[in-house]
Amino acid sequence: MKKIIVICTLFIGFSAFSSTVKDSISTFTFQRLAMMEDFDCDACGCSASGGSMGFGSMLNNNFVGLRYMKQSYTSRDGIFANSPWIDENFNTIQAWARIPVTDKIQISALVPYHFNDRKLTAGTESIQGLGDITVMALYTVFETKKDSTFFTHKVNLGGGVKLPTGKFTEANNLGSVNQSFQLGTGSWDFPLISEYVIKHKNLGLNTTLNYIFKTENSKNYQYGDQFNYAGTFFYLFDLKSVQIVPQAGLAGEMYQTNRQHNLDLPNTAGDILFGKFGIEAGKDKFSVGINAMLPISQNLSNGNMEANYRWSVNLNYTL
Amino acid sequence: MKNTLYRAFAIVTLSIALVSCSNDDNQEVSGNGKLILEFDNAYGSNDLILNTQGNTTSNNEVLKISLVKYIISNVVLTKADGTTFTYPKSKSYFIADEATAAGREFELTDVPAGDYVKVKFGIGVDEDQWKLGASGQGDFLAKADAAGMMWSWAAGYKFLAFEGTFTSPTVTTPTSFMIHTGKTGTDYNYTEVTVDMPTKALVRTTITPEVHLITDLSKIIDGKNKIKLSDNNMGGMGAMIMGGANLPLITQNISAMFRVDHVHND
Repeated sequence: MKKIIVICTLFIGFSAFSSTVKDSISTFTFQRLAMMEDFDCDACGCSASGGSMGFGSMLNNNFVGLRYMKQSYTSRDGIFANSPWIDENFNTIQAWARIPVTDKIQISALVPYHFNDRKLTAGTESIQGLGDITVMALYTVFETKKDSTFFTHKVNLGGGVKLPTGKFTEANNLGSVNQSFQLGTGSWDFPLISEYVIKHKNLGLNTTLNYIFKTENSKNYQYGDQFNYAGTFFYLFDLKSVQIVPQAGLAGEMYQTNRQHNLDLPNTAGDILFGKFGIEAGKDKFSVGINAMLPISQNLSNGNMEANYRWSVNLNYTL
Repeated sequence: MKNTLYRAFAIVTLSIALVSCSNDDNQEVSGNGKLILEFDNAYGSNDLILNTQGNTTSNNEVLKISLVKYIISNVVLTKADGTTFTYPKSKSYFIADEATAAGREFELTDVPAGDYVKVKFGIGVDEDQWKLGASGQGDFLAKADAAGMMWSWAAGYKFLAFEGTFTSPTVTTPTSFMIHTGKTGTDYNYTEVTVDMPTKALVRTTITPEVHLITDLSKIIDGKNKIKLSDNNMGGMGAMIMGGANLPLITQNISAMFRVDHVHND
């Protein structure tokens, strides 16, 4: 609920701000402007594994690219007040693409490769390998056609499937540490996504909501459904040879309780709210971006896990 | 037309998402499995660390614990439907010992498959069993003897041994303490506890649940009944509580020191 209020406030703030700006014709073609919020940055799609970091680009609507992403967590290794806190590092290299099929339909795909480690009391444990591949279709439900309106709007809806290509290792969930130290959920998961972009001249707000239905995997483990939301303001500086887009906003994730053999697992639900900021620069067909997320408030695994930061860097090539 | 196709595709995808949430509840529950009882010793909210960790009581006594052993016996498991399974008495005596790996986990075998919600067990050896005499104890007598959990046959078993050193506002040099419970002339001091499991333990031929119990040792002298070691430090020779009026009080405290923290159904 708190999160919804935050989002609403963002909207109202934006409206109030923009109404003081004189109407004029936007020269920016925002056919090229789009961002899709995603779950690509799942360290595995499990509890507190990321997801609201964002996918895509403010500059390239359709692209192929590579992204490196780092997530840092600290988790309690045990169930006691004096149990040690350990560091967990989730690193992901991801190939991604957003490819138009028709005017209104785009297909996107994400292929992540994870290399994660955690410094358990007994020694450092590392896992690496292919993560869960996601394929999605996005459909543009509404788009303002004219540049002459005060606000232009764009609404995308979509859905897809996350394949169990990342290895789920039951043994990693033994004990009482973070249950997300995995390459994948091991299950077929189904994301639903929505994206709304409102823009006035060079200033815009991108709002995304998505929900991921997660199913039981072959080891009878089921990660809790996940809800991600984000609101990001961006501004386009359209210089002669380069375009620069600074951006800032809020992003949140909510996780339902994990289940095993259809029984709830205690201390696996949680939520987190991040502040996010970044900058993207485009020249010709290439763009580079860097993004960071810092937690504002969080309650993960009943306080037994803390997200420290996330950052990512990406290189895209416009199709 | 193409759009319609894609929309249809989206709907199909969604349907799969929703439908695939069905489960396999109808899996057959039959045969026997195993169940592990894990006893994890704690002091208050902290994990117990032997010898080095100072643990402060509400009476401002600081305990450094060097030895914790107790006898767990007569395990009874209760299913969700209220029916019970009594673990065969001949196999149902265990010695929990913080210092050894074998003293922390007890595997129950040939447990009928089912969804268990409660576990009951005794701390110590029940009087009926003791009355069977030395020859009726099976190999447990030798085991208890080896673990130092016997006084003599006539005096019986030690149900709980809790030892270390302490300091207090009045006892400033580390002084040893020993608490041994068992039968006295007036009280038998065997007690039983029943604890609920927060998650069902699913015993199957393919699943061996691990019931992770926390034993809060702070309760022994700092539970419902408060016992000061300083008051039992006769002549400064150390606080030795092995009989007398304190044992029934400690026994009452002990019966409240167990809880199930979580269950792993792996």
